[in-house]
Amino acid sequence: MASRRSSLRSLACLARLACLALAGTASGCAIGGMAGRNAATLFSSPAPVPDRITRPQRDDARLAVLWVGHATALVQLDDKFVLTDPLLTDTVGQLTHRLQEPGIDPANLPPLDAVIVSHMHFDHLSPGSLEMIEAKVRRLFVPQGGLVYVPNFAFDARELPTWTSFEEGGLRITAVPVKHVGYRYGVDAAWMTRSFTGYVLEYHGLVVYFGGDTAYDGARFRATAARFPHIDLALLPIAPIHPREMMESLHEDPGEAVQAFLDLGARTMVPIHFDTLINGFDQPGEARAALERAMKERGLGEDRVKILPIGGQAVVVPRQSR
Amino acid sequence: MPRTWPLAAALASFAVASATPARAGEPTEPAVHVTLPWVVTQLVPSPELAYGRDVARSGARWQLTPLLYSWGIHRGLSPWRFFVAEPFVRQSGSVELFFTPEYLVYGSSLADGAMLRAGTRAYFPLAAQGEYLSASVGTSAFLFEGRWGAAYEVGAYALFGIVGVQLTYTPSAPPIAWMATLRLRYF
Repeated sequence: MASRRSSLRSLACLARLACLALAGTASGCAIGGMAGRNAATLFSSPAPVPDRITRPQRDDARLAVLWVGHATALVQLDDKFVLTDPLLTDTVGQLTHRLQEPGIDPANLPPLDAVIVSHMHFDHLSPGSLEMIEAKVRRLFVPQGGLVYVPNFAFDARELPTWTSFEEGGLRITAVPVKHVGYRYGVDAAWMTRSFTGYVLEYHGLVVYFGGDTAYDGARFRATAARFPHIDLALLPIAPIHPREMMESLHEDPGEAVQAFLDLGARTMVPIHFDTLINGFDQPGEARAALERAMKERGLGEDRVKILPIGGQAVVVPRQSR
Repeated sequence: MPRTWPLAAALASFAVASATPARAGEPTEPAVHVTLPWVVTQLVPSPELAYGRDVARSGARWQLTPLLYSWGIHRGLSPWRFFVAEPFVRQSGSVELFFTPEYLVYGSSLADGAMLRAGTRAYFPLAAQGEYLSASVGTSAFLFEGRWGAAYEVGAYALFGIVGVQLTYTPSAPPIAWMATLRLRYF
């Protein structure tokens, strides 16, 4: 039964791929429509980020985050730097052009104590991006089963199954459960069934949650909160929203992301995974507006949910506060 | 396991049985195996043009990879694949044995245009670990019109190997000297 479901899932993925190939001609095919929107961006250049930060190290911060775009964020925990899901290339898998350039020039990234990759999709595991920062990376973490799509780089790469941790120099990284899918190509859905994860970073009493790419699953978020009751910062995806019937089993919408933030019991949320690429049927700005509505409904102010522009940096815990 | 072919099923069983349990930091061998969607992808033909002593002929080829060794795959994982090879494992650097049934619009009967080819091919990553661009060189032996011939080929691929161009040269066995193939392959 499970294998039949797996085959059906793979066939569905293939159908989506076929729709990609037929983009623009496959009327009624949502994926085809998305692919058509993507194709329209292929001949445009990413918009520049004004006044890109050249020195991301914040001397005034114990905990800071710089949103590079999509699910890529540079997290500073005192003297440690962690980069999430690095996507620094102009295109994703040569099929999707980014709408805005990365929020930092890769040359200006500091030495990275860890790079964490949440799952195998092209917009989260980007070998071309890893090539750009290879000399800066100390260690790369991927979910269980993920190393098959990580080539031999100069840095160490290792898998981190759910609820397991790796600690070095006081920086502790734990893989935590999220709800998504682990395949990269579709056909591999039959065996890449576990290669997706979230992470919790701990260092000097600072705690950061990275959701990667996840649908809403309250039980998994609450289980994480039970183990990590003092999360300072939650990086949570808020898009794609539409078409909801397709996305809801894979992606939180902004309202669900706010609920996940509350489930996690985190002090601060920074939204990610929006307005960097063509995201489903979402219009640029739509996810942000929906998040602002959800914040208003829940009584959350900008002190709790910090919406950064691409290239924007926020100090979450100032140096003097602890 | 979904529907399988007997040999492939045996290989798949080996792959599943050799999958390692999860331990922190240890690579997990993927349980790569034949599935119905994979079979469907193998049915997609690659169109080609052949040019020889008379005129150009159109045709198509399919491809199977009984054995592949990848040097691009993470060093902690098995580099061997049997029939089913993930695009990344192939395009990031590998050498494969391939078997290629082909058909050219040729001669007076259907059988006249059938060609069987077997050979070896090496892939080299050129950009983004081969996902954006890779190249190949290879050699093969083929059977056409009841005669054996030898051929040499080069190729270039994009979109993680989905789309590529292969040029095949046969120095010694007319009626076919050059073949250009639009290689369409997903897995």
